[in-house]
Amino acid sequence: MSGLVLIGLFDGVEPAAKAGQALRALPLPAANLTTISGVPLPDGAVSVDPRPIRFSRYVVVFWFVGALAGLGLALATYLLYPLITAGKAIISIPPTLIITYEVAMLFALLATLVLGAREMGLPRFKAKKVHEPRIHEGKIAVCAVVEPGEQERRAREAMKTAGALDIRTEEGEI
Amino acid sequence: MSGEHLLARTDEAQLYRDLSRSNLVTTWKWFAGAGTLALVLLWGIGVFVYMMMTGMGVTGLNRPVFWGILIVNFVFWIGLSHSGTLISAILRLTHATWRAPILRAAEAMTAFSLMVGGLFPLIHLGRNWRFYYTIPYPNERGLWPNMRSPLMWDAVAINTYLIGSLTFLYVGMIPDLAILRDKSEGWRRMLYSILSLGFRGTHAEWRRYHRASTLFAILIIPVAVSVHSIVSWDFAMAKVPGWHSTIFAPYFVVGAIFSGIAGVVLVMTVLRRVFRLERVLTPLHFDNLGKLLCMMSLIWGYFYFAEFLTVWYNRNPEEWEVFSSYGKSYLPVFLLMIMCNFVIPFPMLCMKKVRRSIPAISIASFLVVVGMYCERILIVTASLARRNDPFIWHNYFPTWVELSITAASFAMFGLLYMIFSKIFPIMAISDIKERLFHTTERAFGGASAEAIARVEEGEEEGSA
Repeated sequence: MSGLVLIGLFDGVEPAAKAGQALRALPLPAANLTTISGVPLPDGAVSVDPRPIRFSRYVVVFWFVGALAGLGLALATYLLYPLITAGKAIISIPPTLIITYEVAMLFALLATLVLGAREMGLPRFKAKKVHEPRIHEGKIAVCAVVEPGEQERRAREAMKTAGALDIRTEEGEI
Repeated sequence: MSGEHLLARTDEAQLYRDLSRSNLVTTWKWFAGAGTLALVLLWGIGVFVYMMMTGMGVTGLNRPVFWGILIVNFVFWIGLSHSGTLISAILRLTHATWRAPILRAAEAMTAFSLMVGGLFPLIHLGRNWRFYYTIPYPNERGLWPNMRSPLMWDAVAINTYLIGSLTFLYVGMIPDLAILRDKSEGWRRMLYSILSLGFRGTHAEWRRYHRASTLFAILIIPVAVSVHSIVSWDFAMAKVPGWHSTIFAPYFVVGAIFSGIAGVVLVMTVLRRVFRLERVLTPLHFDNLGKLLCMMSLIWGYFYFAEFLTVWYNRNPEEWEVFSSYGKSYLPVFLLMIMCNFVIPFPMLCMKKVRRSIPAISIASFLVVVGMYCERILIVTASLARRNDPFIWHNYFPTWVELSITAASFAMFGLLYMIFSKIFPIMAISDIKERLFHTTERAFGGASAEAIARVEEGEEEGSA
C-alpha cells in the first residue's frame, strides 16, 4: 500500500494500541495500517494483518518436488551407471529411501527461506518503504496510509490524542 | 511492583551495548587469540600439504586400521554439531522462555562444527585432489558416485544439514542484522544492509518471520536426527565386529546430543567470560542445560550398557574380542570414556550447586567432550584393530601428522567462532528483547514472580 504515510511514534504498546483503534474507527482499512516495532506484536494488538500467510503450504509442495528429485537422482544413477553385483538387485531400495528423504528435506528448507522471504517482500533495497530506526530505542511506530487533506488531519489528531511522541508524513509504502 | 513489561524498564541502548560488545569492542587479546589460532591452523594446513605430497604412509594408518583419528575427528565434530541447531529448534518450538541467550551461540556452534567436520573425509581421502569424483556430474570417464555407499548418503545428509543449519542461523539473525544496520556506519552498515535484506520490523514481516522460523525449527529437527543416524550407518552397514549393530543409529544420536550440549555449555562459558555477558547468560541457563546434560548422561549410560550387555552375555567370539580389547590395549581410553561420560558427570550434574556453578558445570562439560572423543576412538579404531582375522590384528596410534591436523581443526573452529563474533551479533538481540517484552512481574502474596504472555500461532487474534 503506497501513498502518503503518516508515521506516529509511541512510547509503548498501550498508546500505540489506542492510536490503532482510533485510526480504524476513522474508518481506515486494515491494509492501510501497520506497525513498525523492534519486537513482534500479537496480531490485533495494534494493527491487524489482513493478508493470510500462504507460503507454508507451498513448502509442503516443494517437499514433494524434492522427494521426486531425490528419487530421480537415485533411480537415474542405478539405470545410467548400473552396478552389477551377483545376486543383488540393480535398484537398491534403502539408499533410494535415504537420498529421497534428504533431498526432500533440502528442498523444503530452501523453499522456506525463499518463499518466506518472498512473502515478506524481501530482499528489498530501495528506500521507498517507510522506516523508523527509533524502534530500536523501545518505540513503536504506527504507520497509516491516508488521503491528504481531511483524512490526514483526522488521523494526525487521533495519533496525537493517543499520545504520539512524534508525528511525521512521508511519501512511500508501508 | 509495576505492571510494565520488563523491556519498558530496560535501557535498550545499554542492552544493545551489552549484547553487541563483541561487535563494538576489539581488544589486543582478541587479536592475540585469533593470531595464535591462525598460526595453529596454518601449521595444520602445512602438515596436510606434507601428507598430501608424501602419501598416507605418514599417518598411523595400517592394515587393518584404515580409519584412524581423522575419521574420529569427523564423527566427533559432526556429533558436536548436532546439538546446536537441535537444541535451538526444540527450545523454539517448546517456547522455552529461557532460550533466547543460548540460541545464537548454539546455532553458530553447529555451523562451524559442520564446516570443520565436513573437511575430514576429504583430508582422509588420500589423493585429495580427486575429491571432485564424489560429486555427481557427467564426465568423460563415465564416473558417477555410487548411491549404494553409506559414504555417499553421508555427503548428501551433511550437505543438507549444513545448508539447513546455515539458513537457520541466518534467518534467526535477520532482525538483529536490521538493528545493527540502523546502528552502525561505514562498511558495517553496508554489509548489514545487504544481509538484513531490508527487514524493517513491520507487523506483516514479523508474522511471516515467525512462521518461517517455526517451519525451519520443525524441518531441521528430523534432518539433525537423520544426519547422525547416517554417520552411524557408515559403520553399522559394514560387517565389522563392534559396528554391525541395529542400536547404532539411536546410540550415535544420543551421543551426539550429549556431546553437543556439553559443547554449548563450554561455548557459553567462554562467551560469558570474554564478552562480559554475566547479566544475560545467568546460572539459570547453565542449570537448565545441566539438567539436559544429566539426563543425556543417563541415557548414554543406558545405551552403552545395553550394547555391551548383549555382547557380554552372548560372547560371540568376534564381537567379544573387540570388547575385551577395551580391557587390554585400550584400557586407558575405555576408563577415561566411562569416567568422563558417566561416573563423574552424572552424580556431579545431579547436584543443583554444581549445575548453578559455572566453573563446575564447565568442568563437567569438558569431561563429557573428552569422554565422547574417547568413545569415538574406541568405536572407530578398536573395532578395526580386532577385525575377523587375528593374524592381522594391529593396534593403531596416531602420528604427529594426524595430531597436528586434529589440533588445527580445534583452532579452525575457534577462529571461525572468533571471526563470527566480531562481525555478527553473538547474542540473539531480538529474541532477548522479545522475552523481556513478554515478561511482567506480578505479586504472589509477599513474593513476586515473572508472568510471561504468549501468543500461539493460529490462536484467536489479539489473545495474549
